[in-house]
Amino acid sequence: MDSSGDEALDIIITNVVATFRTRCHLNLRTIALEGTNVIYKPEDGKVLMKLRKPKITASIWSSGKIICTGATSEDEAKLGARRLARCLQKLGFKVNFSAFKVVNVLAVCSMPFAVHLIDFTKNNRPIASYEPELHPAAMYRIKTLKATVQVFSTGSLTVTGPNVQNVAAAVEHIYPLLFECQKPKPLCK
Amino acid sequence: MTSRVCRTCGGSDIDVDQARGSAVCTGCGSVLEDNIIVSEVQFVEGSGGVSSTVGQFVSADGPVKAPILGSGFHISVGKESRAQTLQSGKRQIQQLGSQLQLNQHCLDTAFNFFKLVVSKHLTRGRKMEHVIAACLYLVCRTEGTPHMLLDLSDLLQVNVYILGKTFLLLARELCINAPAIDPCLYIPRFAHMLEFGMKTHEVSMTALRLVQRMKRDWMHTGRRPSGLCGAALLVAARMHKFRRSVKDVISVVKVCQTTLRKRLTEFEDTPTSQLTIDEFMKVDLEQECDPPSFTAGQHKAKMQQLEQELARKLDEVEGEISCFKDEIETELEKSRPKLRGVYAAYTKEIGWYSSEEVLSSTSDPEETEETEMQATTQHLTQDFLCQVIQEEEGQGKTADEGFCDQETEPETLGTTTRPQVTPLSVILGKLPSAARLGLQESFHTFAGSETGVKPDSDGELDLKDIDDQEIEKYILNEKEVEVKTELWMKQNAEYLKEQKEKEERINKEKEQGTYKEKKKKYKKREQIEASTAGEAIEKMLEKKKISSKINYDVLRDLNGVTGSPSTTTSDPPEGNATRKRLSRRRRKTSEVNPDLSVETAVTMATKPTTTEAAAAPTPDAIPDTGSTPPAAPPPAEEEEEEEELEEECVSALQLVGGQSRLLF
Repeated sequence: MDSSGDEALDIIITNVVATFRTRCHLNLRTIALEGTNVIYKPEDGKVLMKLRKPKITASIWSSGKIICTGATSEDEAKLGARRLARCLQKLGFKVNFSAFKVVNVLAVCSMPFAVHLIDFTKNNRPIASYEPELHPAAMYRIKTLKATVQVFSTGSLTVTGPNVQNVAAAVEHIYPLLFECQKPKPLCK
Repeated sequence: MTSRVCRTCGGSDIDVDQARGSAVCTGCGSVLEDNIIVSEVQFVEGSGGVSSTVGQFVSADGPVKAPILGSGFHISVGKESRAQTLQSGKRQIQQLGSQLQLNQHCLDTAFNFFKLVVSKHLTRGRKMEHVIAACLYLVCRTEGTPHMLLDLSDLLQVNVYILGKTFLLLARELCINAPAIDPCLYIPRFAHMLEFGMKTHEVSMTALRLVQRMKRDWMHTGRRPSGLCGAALLVAARMHKFRRSVKDVISVVKVCQTTLRKRLTEFEDTPTSQLTIDEFMKVDLEQECDPPSFTAGQHKAKMQQLEQELARKLDEVEGEISCFKDEIETELEKSRPKLRGVYAAYTKEIGWYSSEEVLSSTSDPEETEETEMQATTQHLTQDFLCQVIQEEEGQGKTADEGFCDQETEPETLGTTTRPQVTPLSVILGKLPSAARLGLQESFHTFAGSETGVKPDSDGELDLKDIDDQEIEKYILNEKEVEVKTELWMKQNAEYLKEQKEKEERINKEKEQGTYKEKKKKYKKREQIEASTAGEAIEKMLEKKKISSKINYDVLRDLNGVTGSPSTTTSDPPEGNATRKRLSRRRRKTSEVNPDLSVETAVTMATKPTTTEAAAAPTPDAIPDTGSTPPAAPPPAEEEEEEEELEEECVSALQLVGGQSRLLF
């Protein structure tokens, strides 16, 4: 998945967030009392339900909107969501699984070289921003892909985007820019 | 300055004296005008003999932005909102800037930034303080003053990350590229605060060299500049024989002690730290180092590699040991008296398992649990030998073949542990078995769910890959529900109490009739008395300061024939809007508003589909009776209007199709 050709960069997806609707009103108290692994948060008006199998945490609102986080792939997110809906169905609600959408994908990638952040920010002026007082990484936002890449000085990247393809494209996009601002090979250590 | 004609002599040569404010005819000398309104600059003497001008500077683009509405609509007279915003902004900038000791040029630049921000509508939804602080910090960065974002947040008592967020956003929107922070900027400031007396300059220079060295050694990327400065200053102070403790430095530099120590250790790792003081001042080492986190990462990777190698070696060694052990055991068995019949098989299995226990301490928990089970059966269930032996034989077989192949093992274990569960549950309790069952089943289902997932767009659940049994486990049974309910009630007792009290309060108030539903807070509005709907609309709009985006002509035409319904107020799609508005109306009328019920009875009686027809005559009726019901008509009027709009929109939509949408 890497444009340089020599080595393949491992893009590891660490988190996938997805939402879906059950199109029916849910009674949070019932879910809280009759389900295992649920946490009721009355002040936020939601229930947190954690599934073991695809390791997923779901926030369930009474309106029927559900947000699933913690999956490691898009398919897993969908499976987890369906499982959750099935669970709710068993609890007695007339669940209709609709509007499933993957909202955010977070991936981690590591460059084999370190990056000089100040040069990188200078070269990509308005798109990249670096505030060492606030956060140790430089943030690069790709508008066309709607993806954000956080570049750390060690060469590790954190990429977030709306789906896996965008994330991969973002890494490919940013690789040449990082390659330019590579740290020169050190002599010591 | 029209050249007028003198009344007495007819001459047109008229001298207008601005200073005296009079117009005099030069021909006959008659005074034509006296006390002309003068537009000269006037001076007034202030305290101490200082004369100052009278009057204000008004910006050229101030009141020019009058929205061009239809005739007859008045804007609220008075100071323009925009001018007010700018003025208050300027005042706040001055205030904050003087606390930071910024010079006037910086403050003016900050004000210019602020004007840009306001013109781009970036102040909306943000606290003015944050925006002002961000503008000031922007100036600090572009000018290169040694002010940190932390200073600003200290002054305002606001979280620095919130300020940072605002700052980043403004910088991005205004396309201002703030140059990166150089820690060297902060050195003189901190040095001054540390009070080195005469030697402040020297210490600063040393610290500067140190910081530059740190930069070359890649210690400064991704780190707070103040941390680096702190470390550099501490070392520099010690080099010049000043006793500054870590605590002094951190109180000035505003980082944590741990951070400072860490920077110092990192610096220690660089080769520069090995130089003596004199050498350092003279020589500059050529080499550069990797950033510390990079080396830490590499170190970690190395450790992992080492561990893997060790593990492999251990396995080899273990293999050797197990060989020896087996040999020893066989020898021992030969020497021991042999048991007959059933017990022979029993001992063989046991021997095998006990050796397994010793060696496979790191195997997965399933197996160790199995072996533990085995050990307990040995000790406790001497009477159930036959039963146990059968099961063990079964397990022994599966353990033999399934040791490496995990997929078959869980299934067979699953089947064999079921009968075992009942006797053991007495001994060990239910919990481990449930966990184990869960794990096994999860393996089973995981293997099953590897297949691809088809997208289902109907909304029906695709149950193909979902194991119902597992899901059943997520739902507690009756008893557990009771227990959980009790627990939950106890835990949230306070919250529930509050809810009950609130309900009681509401009920009491309802009985008393003093109940005010606090859901919607409407400002007190005066009634509008108007004879026609058109007038009512006009008056309402006057009072309400409607935006410039409404086409008022259309609104006025609504009462008459169906004009082109092109108003931007009904932006949302018509279908939704009608539903929303109608439901809103229904909700509104359900509120305690007995007086309005008369009219609404008329409208409510009709079904939703026919309200459109009813809506038409009611607007005429309502303004007439508008005076009597208190406080309800203005919102009702607006609603009626909007419903009228909708009615028009809907009918137009039906007639014209999608064309009306184009007009939005």
